[in-house]
Amino acid sequence: MKHSFIDRYAELDSPLHALEARTKIVGFTALTAAVLMLPPAAGTSFLLFFFLVAILMGVSQIPLEFIAGRTLMILPFVLLAAIAAPWRNDIGFAWFSALLTRSLLCLVFLVLLTNTTRFAELLRGLRRMGVPRVLVLNLGFLYRYIFVLADEIMRMRLASECRRVGRLPLRRELSLLTSMLGTLLLRSFERAERMYQAMLSRGYSADFPVAAPRRFSWRDLVFLFLVALFLYTIGRTSA
Amino acid sequence: MHIPDGFLTAGVALPLDAVSAAGVLYAARRLKVEAAGRMIPVMGMLSAFVFAAQMLNFPVLGGTSGHLVGGALLAILLGPTAGFMAMAAVVIAQALFLQDGGLIALGANLFNIGAVAIWGGYLVYRLAAGIDPGPRRAAAAAFAAGWFSLEFSALSCALQLALSGVVPLSVGVPAMCGYHALIGLAEGALTAGILSIVRGVRPDLAAQARSLTGLADWVGAMVLVALPYVLLILAGSSDLPDPLESLLQASGLRAAGPGSQELLSPERMRGYALSATVIVIVIALIFLGRSLLREKRERP
Repeated sequence: MKHSFIDRYAELDSPLHALEARTKIVGFTALTAAVLMLPPAAGTSFLLFFFLVAILMGVSQIPLEFIAGRTLMILPFVLLAAIAAPWRNDIGFAWFSALLTRSLLCLVFLVLLTNTTRFAELLRGLRRMGVPRVLVLNLGFLYRYIFVLADEIMRMRLASECRRVGRLPLRRELSLLTSMLGTLLLRSFERAERMYQAMLSRGYSADFPVAAPRRFSWRDLVFLFLVALFLYTIGRTSA
Repeated sequence: MHIPDGFLTAGVALPLDAVSAAGVLYAARRLKVEAAGRMIPVMGMLSAFVFAAQMLNFPVLGGTSGHLVGGALLAILLGPTAGFMAMAAVVIAQALFLQDGGLIALGANLFNIGAVAIWGGYLVYRLAAGIDPGPRRAAAAAFAAGWFSLEFSALSCALQLALSGVVPLSVGVPAMCGYHALIGLAEGALTAGILSIVRGVRPDLAAQARSLTGLADWVGAMVLVALPYVLLILAGSSDLPDPLESLLQASGLRAAGPGSQELLSPERMRGYALSATVIVIVIALIFLGRSLLREKRERP
């Protein structure tokens, strides 16, 4: 089966994709931090950030509707904040829109980071920046197994949907889900053991090598310089 | 329950980033000794399992749907340290692949969904199950662990949102805890059911957690679980009308003062903002520079 929900556009070829993983991690983290620190009244700064986001989105060649779809993730929290609004008379529309703007900008940065970097390279960058090996290996295994498990789950779901009509009562639905997940857990556990034996016999050495990783070059320096320049401008306009 | 970037103020998000980073480093250090080889692929597979289990939904009230969160399950199967590491991978992957969470809010999410749920669920399970539980008692304990793990992280999440001034305590706590008390029933049932299936077929797996505990786990679990409640009691026992107000005072984030409606005054806010931005950028640059230097040394 086909899966496209994970780093779908990471294989495109754009100036943003050509950067090294660490550059993007540092750059986007700094931009996100800066957005979070903006006071709600800093209208011009938010506008500048929107210009930056528009430019980056254009450069990255990632389809606009994909990014828009991903930004729906903040909806539950927006809802919670909206529910709470009548209890607080000190916050108004300006506060709410600043909250929305902030979280939208941060989400777009996150989408840009993960969809312009292949996951293996992202892991390599994290490892080189001092993230513990256990965690990076764990993420690496997760990434490799997720496609197999997703296949298995889709087949199970298809099989169960073929054998019933509509929804069952919640109790039945849960017990069905339990046996599906239990079976999946056992199967995946035993598969993990078999795979580990196979990996050991093929010379696995607790590392995931990356084919032709990108190197830190003058482009990365330029990108970081531009980010720094932008943040300096923001600091000047909002202060 | 994954908090996106923008909902937590820097004063809440950055300390939690530091705490979670320390937690990950501590867990990694312990696992280096404990997890000789075989454990890491198993952790990776279980992380992938929890991540993939999101694809199977069950209907909840009003057209929304829930799915397995998996904190208690990982805690019981792997023990708290390895369980936290596996859950950390899940939370990071959710943020990176699904944009469920954020970059700066990652620390808060690791704390709520990773640390609090894992250590809290583990604590409940061990207290309820005892030394060598029979199948019924183990199932009941797993159910309780699943329910409480969600409840603990929901409370922790609501507290952080209140400290950030987004959702007041009087709304956030009932909304988050109430909703998750409902979802928690399904989480508990799934945790208990999955574990009993695993126990039936591979009893060796379900027994693994017992061998991986020490005093530090117990103390850590107690602190993580007790801290939000202590804060809540502090907030409730004060005679101020607004619990958030008193909570902020109790936690030292704001000095006492009547009539100050804004969380922090604009001038102080701007000062904090600038210094915090500078700190984040400097830290990021230090990490980048260090790794570049190391690379240069490695390549002759």
